[in-house]
Amino acid sequence: MVFLTRLFFAFLLSAMALPGVGRAAGERVLRVAVLENSPPMAYRDAKGGLTGFSIAIMGLLCEEMRVSCEYHVTTLDDIVDAVAAGEYDVAAVSLLDTPERRAKLLFAKPYFRSLSLWFAKPGLQPGQSGFRIAVVHGSAQERFVRARGWDLVGVRTNGELAEPIRAGLAQAAIIPMSSALNLMKMPEFRDLGLVSTVMHESELGGDASFGISPARPELKEQIDAALERIKRNGAYDRVNSKFLPFRIN
Amino acid sequence: MNLSAIPGFHGIRAGRAFALLAACFVLTFGAMVTLLVLDQQRVLEATGHLQEQTVPEIIRYQRLARNLEQLRQEGERVFSAHTPQSRQQAMFVVMLVASHPSVLEHPESAALARETERFLNDVMYRSATDSKAFVTYHEEWQRLAARLSVQVDDVSIQGINLANGDLNEVAATMGLARYKVAAALGLVGLFLLLFLVLLRKHLIEPLQRIDRALSTLSVEQPSPTFQPSAMREIHAVEEAIGELHASLVQNEKARVALEELANNDGLTRLTNRRHFMLLADAELLRAQRYERPVTVGMADLDHFKNLNDGYGHAAGDIVLCALAQLMRDTFRQSDMIGRYGGEEFAFLFPETSLVEAHVLAERLRVRAAGYNIELPDGRTVRVSMSIGLADASTGSLEMALNRADDALYEAKRQGRNRVVQAPVGEQRLLADDL
Repeated sequence: MVFLTRLFFAFLLSAMALPGVGRAAGERVLRVAVLENSPPMAYRDAKGGLTGFSIAIMGLLCEEMRVSCEYHVTTLDDIVDAVAAGEYDVAAVSLLDTPERRAKLLFAKPYFRSLSLWFAKPGLQPGQSGFRIAVVHGSAQERFVRARGWDLVGVRTNGELAEPIRAGLAQAAIIPMSSALNLMKMPEFRDLGLVSTVMHESELGGDASFGISPARPELKEQIDAALERIKRNGAYDRVNSKFLPFRIN
Repeated sequence: MNLSAIPGFHGIRAGRAFALLAACFVLTFGAMVTLLVLDQQRVLEATGHLQEQTVPEIIRYQRLARNLEQLRQEGERVFSAHTPQSRQQAMFVVMLVASHPSVLEHPESAALARETERFLNDVMYRSATDSKAFVTYHEEWQRLAARLSVQVDDVSIQGINLANGDLNEVAATMGLARYKVAAALGLVGLFLLLFLVLLRKHLIEPLQRIDRALSTLSVEQPSPTFQPSAMREIHAVEEAIGELHASLVQNEKARVALEELANNDGLTRLTNRRHFMLLADAELLRAQRYERPVTVGMADLDHFKNLNDGYGHAAGDIVLCALAQLMRDTFRQSDMIGRYGGEEFAFLFPETSLVEAHVLAERLRVRAAGYNIELPDGRTVRVSMSIGLADASTGSLEMALNRADDALYEAKRQGRNRVVQAPVGEQRLLADDL
């Protein structure tokens, strides 16, 4: 009888403990580093809220993983080191695969496939000398240009890539596909009269992934599984159609 | 289905055959179940592959189809655009789609996309000098757009068809599994049939034989014989039936011996007084019912006390036995002889009148009187007997015997060694008194 009573109280205690466990799970917060001036991947909408393809995908992933995500705006040249240092858990930014990034971060499964475009004044070809190329600081494009020893002008965000050209500081730019799609919608960019070509170098295209902090290796499996689910249940494609004119996966 | 009739099974006990059958069944059925489980595993793997590999691949084909459709729409926009800006924008998307890895990884689509991009570029280039270029090339564009549409359909169907491999695998496995289930059921039926046949042959039929044997078991019948059974237990029961029969026979012998002891005199083997009275009473009733003549008699050895005193009781016993034998030899088979007391005997002669009985009694008296009875010590003795007879065709046995006894007394009185008949009138007299 004493044993039964103890058992009953043990059961009662565990039952009372359960909601606590539930709260603990609900309180799991993911610190997500994002960009804010990289339309259509990440930008502020008219009301000032963060939106964009990468941010919406991350939102779906958070929903799938049943975690609450808090977004921290940063810039591309900071993001890799900050996530590597554990300041953030996830970099919800389209990262092309580079050896330096791979050494510092874990890569989630690719969430789309990108390519880079060469925008330049007519007649200027990649590899020619005597002009400067605008790239984003910390980008794979910057790494590419530096590796070849070409002259460059760095900007902090994708949204600013046209500025150096407009200001006459640069005569060309290497621009990721999604940013280029956005820039081409702007008359002032089109008016620059730049000629565009697709760059086929492998380090400028291909798989783009979110970065995961090496301090949270368990997140990779969860994020990959969640990504697989949203690709299958149609949520991914709705986000794709919302932000981009064609299927980029 | 007699197991011992099958060469390989000779000497194998039916119990073991049952166990062997059960083991075979368990093994075979287990193997069938294992095969079915493997089939199930294959189905699970195929559906798993469908979910994990094929469905994402199908989705990839759908996205490619979507991009090719987008390519066609952007091409349309290049032709129908009202401003150079929107034309330029559309052309830019065409370039991106045609260069995107999702299109490039499908060679046919990649080739068509490149052709589309080149064609549109070419028209754009010509439009710079020829304002009618878009009109001139529109027809060619429509052919190209139609090819794009067909390619969209092809890619969609290719994607859907990817599922066929997995589904065919599942269908084939399920088809095979159906045969296996049927085979397993057939096997169960076969084993069940075999089991029933063995059960009938080695259990039910022997039990029926045992039942028949038991219901006809009696001492009059010989001990039942059985074919040697393959079942140890049945064999044991059959042997027990043999033993039961033997003990029945033994009991009957014992019963007969006991009856003999109860009904006969131990010394002379003649019917004892109690049994004689029973038998005689029954015979008297029968005779009186059919109004047949019947006579009773009483006999007593003369001077038997003197014999006992002079020669000893052993000699007296020998004399009694010898005279009993003499009575059996002298009288007919149907006549009843009983030892009534120590040296007193009673007779009943069925179907015999007083006169006829007198002849028989007289014959006995004469033979007894002339009979030299040898004693173990070599001496011989002769013992005469006095006999009284009475008609018993009416009245009770006791009354008849009393009258015979009175006649016997009369014979003793007259000097012994003689036969005296009870007067018939005395009986009538008695009857008249009633």
